[in-house]
Amino acid sequence: MEFLNFVLIFVTGVLVLRRPDKEALAFRLLLFCAALTVFLFFVGSRTSVLPPFNY
Amino acid sequence: MRNEPLYRLLAALLLLVSIAPIGVAAWWLGFAHGESPCVLCWQQRTAMTLVALCCAFILRFGPRPRYVGLALLISAHGIYMGVRHSALHWARDVGQGFAGEFFGAHTYTWSAFIFWVFVVAIGLLLMAMRDGAATAEPRDPGPLGRLAIVVFLFAVAGNVAQAFTSTGPPPYMGQSDPVRFSFDPKTWIWSLEEWEPAAISLRGRYAFASPSIDGLDADPARGPLRGLARVAAGSRTRIAAGLDGTPADFARDPASGRFAVVTGRHQVAVLDADLARIEHSARLDPGYSVDLGRGLVGVAWVDATTLVALTESKSFATLAEVERGDAAKNWRHFLAGGERFEERARGRFATVRARMNHVAALAFDPARPSLLTASVPNARHRRLVVSRFERSDMTLAEEFLPALGPGLALAGEARSLDEYFVTGLAIADGRLHALSAAFSTLLEIDLATREVVAARGLDGLSRPVGLALRDDAWLVLQEDGAVVAFPR
Repeated sequence: MEFLNFVLIFVTGVLVLRRPDKEALAFRLLLFCAALTVFLFFVGSRTSVLPPFNY
Repeated sequence: MRNEPLYRLLAALLLLVSIAPIGVAAWWLGFAHGESPCVLCWQQRTAMTLVALCCAFILRFGPRPRYVGLALLISAHGIYMGVRHSALHWARDVGQGFAGEFFGAHTYTWSAFIFWVFVVAIGLLLMAMRDGAATAEPRDPGPLGRLAIVVFLFAVAGNVAQAFTSTGPPPYMGQSDPVRFSFDPKTWIWSLEEWEPAAISLRGRYAFASPSIDGLDADPARGPLRGLARVAAGSRTRIAAGLDGTPADFARDPASGRFAVVTGRHQVAVLDADLARIEHSARLDPGYSVDLGRGLVGVAWVDATTLVALTESKSFATLAEVERGDAAKNWRHFLAGGERFEERARGRFATVRARMNHVAALAFDPARPSLLTASVPNARHRRLVVSRFERSDMTLAEEFLPALGPGLALAGEARSLDEYFVTGLAIADGRLHALSAAFSTLLEIDLATREVVAARGLDGLSRPVGLALRDDAWLVLQEDGAVVAFPR
């Protein structure tokens, strides 16, 4: 999944640099990548969402 | 301040972040040194890349609120991720951790700091920005801006390659314990382990309830030890009326015969040798300096006039009896009473093996001036650990898991001493007497050999919370205030 995320980030960066007319698409891809990052971190840390400290 | 210098500054920042940490992470740490991120490291690295991408958006399209806002949101999540991830290792001994270090700190611990720097940088740039700076049309990022975006893409390309080799195509994802990076496909591990079902929890291994004797099986015959000798209850008496709260433990001073009692409402009381009269008492203020938890669970005399009261979380208060307490000085320590007490210390016992367990009893060993606790099981961590703390500095001196001595046997392969729920402790002749509310069993543990050398089932008990020794009897305090004597 990290591979997919970085591929999309790369594509988004290329759009920003080379195709500024695709700004809306680029921003949607950026939002998707951010959401995917949050989701993947949650998957990896869901057994203790808060830092595993004494509370 | 004009906006063009700000754009150049932003381009320089993007260039910097693209080189390090984003580029260095893949091209230097990964390809040159074989380091592989774990699944959490990957998301932290990705989030840094996304903040950098927001910078590229701003260079290209101007500082639209949605780009600046998203960069802030990602940075905020990055700080959380940095703390959450580092927390796995922060409490370890010095130098321990996961994978490589920069300037003496492991890479994942830098993450929270880097995202904090992002937040600060975004705030400073916003403050320096002119009103109405957001543009409606794409702008030329300029030579430095284009260079920064190209370097950013180069850094991302390295991460694409490393992500493919280390984590694989979807649906594979990063691993919690990855192996070193290699270009050799035979060594690549593409894993689905993170997708395997796992319970969602807010506090993880720390999520368990306070100890309670509710629902414990009181029958010694159903306990983990086979063929226990039984002891019938002898005389019964009642503890003096007038305690504030439910009795939670008691201790007997062998010299004077007096008793100390603690209650669930933080009361410490000294009673006469017949348990018939409260000589004096104090109710501790539990909330200040050291959190004394939801109630006291243990008490022990450490000399003829000094008591230590203990909470379930191993926090303690040391109280000395005095002829006349200083009312002004005592106000901060006591909610009520305290005319005959002075609080000498508050602190916390720290354990190693029992750190994920509460305790429910305390004893003092005069032979080696020290205090002893025994852990009680909970829903996540079931382990009977005896911990000893030196009286001189109240610091851990010894810990052990009692073993079974000669002549004792478990009732089955799946049974264990960890099933006992020790609510009363007392020491005599080098032996720790441990009363378990579960299965109403009295264990005798030889403190030299660390073995359970005797075990007895006590008949007729109901919710025992404390144990004291008299020459002729074990005295058991029940939650209802009854004190039951079992002949020794």
